[in-house]
Amino acid sequence: MKTISIILIAIALTFNTVDAGAKKEKRKYGKAITLKEKTKISDIIANPEKFNGKRLLVEGPIVDVCKERGCWIKIGGDKEFESLRFKVEDGVIVFPLEIKGKSTVAEGVLSVKTYSKEDLIKSGEEHAKKEGTEFDPSTITEGKTVIQLKGEGALVEIQ
Amino acid sequence: MINFQWRKWNKTLHRDIGYLSVAMVIIYGVSGIAVNHIGDWNPNYKLSKRIVQINPIVSQDRDEIIGQTVSSLSIMESPENYFRPDSNTAQLFYPGKTYSVDLPTGNVLIESTPSRPVLFEMNQLHLNAVKGVWTYIADIFALGLIFMGISGMFILKGSTGIMGRGKWFVVIGTIIPLFYWIWYQYLQ
Repeated sequence: MKTISIILIAIALTFNTVDAGAKKEKRKYGKAITLKEKTKISDIIANPEKFNGKRLLVEGPIVDVCKERGCWIKIGGDKEFESLRFKVEDGVIVFPLEIKGKSTVAEGVLSVKTYSKEDLIKSGEEHAKKEGTEFDPSTITEGKTVIQLKGEGALVEIQ
Repeated sequence: MINFQWRKWNKTLHRDIGYLSVAMVIIYGVSGIAVNHIGDWNPNYKLSKRIVQINPIVSQDRDEIIGQTVSSLSIMESPENYFRPDSNTAQLFYPGKTYSVDLPTGNVLIESTPSRPVLFEMNQLHLNAVKGVWTYIADIFALGLIFMGISGMFILKGSTGIMGRGKWFVVIGTIIPLFYWIWYQYLQ
């Protein structure tokens, strides 16, 4: 019993020490950051085609996190009303919800895809069928362009 | 010639690997049920939302918006981060809590997302969110499960063993996933 108590105390102290150290550091998700030069999110949104397919490093606050699978974060831009989705493959990186509001630098490849109205309706119908929900095609009035960073790695400031 | 008592070793290994795997089986089993129903609930977090009312905020200045919000809500600390998703909304981020202020009406949506104790940790391990060495620990556990599945068939002899009624249970257990996949892929 005494031995078990000592082991438990040692484990608790170890985790406590690791946690205290981690508070001052950046937590890494996925691969290591390779780029040094950052690209402003406002520049990407202003001219997405210029950056399409390019590897980019962006920074900003994490303003939203995928609640179900932690498979994306939304990074706030340097200008108001702008943000960029940082999408990772399911399970490869899992972002916890508690990083919402923290600052991040994140690296990935920019993807710009334009969907026609017909594409969106077809996709909406397929999604509704798969999920067993209802879909109203009249809610889709025009096509849209989806800009997102296919995420590979991110550093999140944990204070 | 050495008389290798394979059945005795099979039984011993099955038993001891079983003991070693108890905690892992519970973690993966409980988490498996939890994440299996991810469409119906969030297995990791309790999402709570409530709305409170403050005076509408006319200013578009960051510092004034933050100042009026925190004073109205009697929050003692400055937010970790601040974001404007649109011209009517300002978001203030605190650890584990987000305040979304609708500036024209003064409605403040307070969202908090505490993790579900124990279940969150089980899910993190099950889905290998922690990566690193855990990947290999989970691999070893998976190999242990495979071993237990196979060795389990050869523990008993006679009418309850694999050559007796045991074979029918194995067949049924194989048919269930096989037929389900055929139905899912080709017949539905």
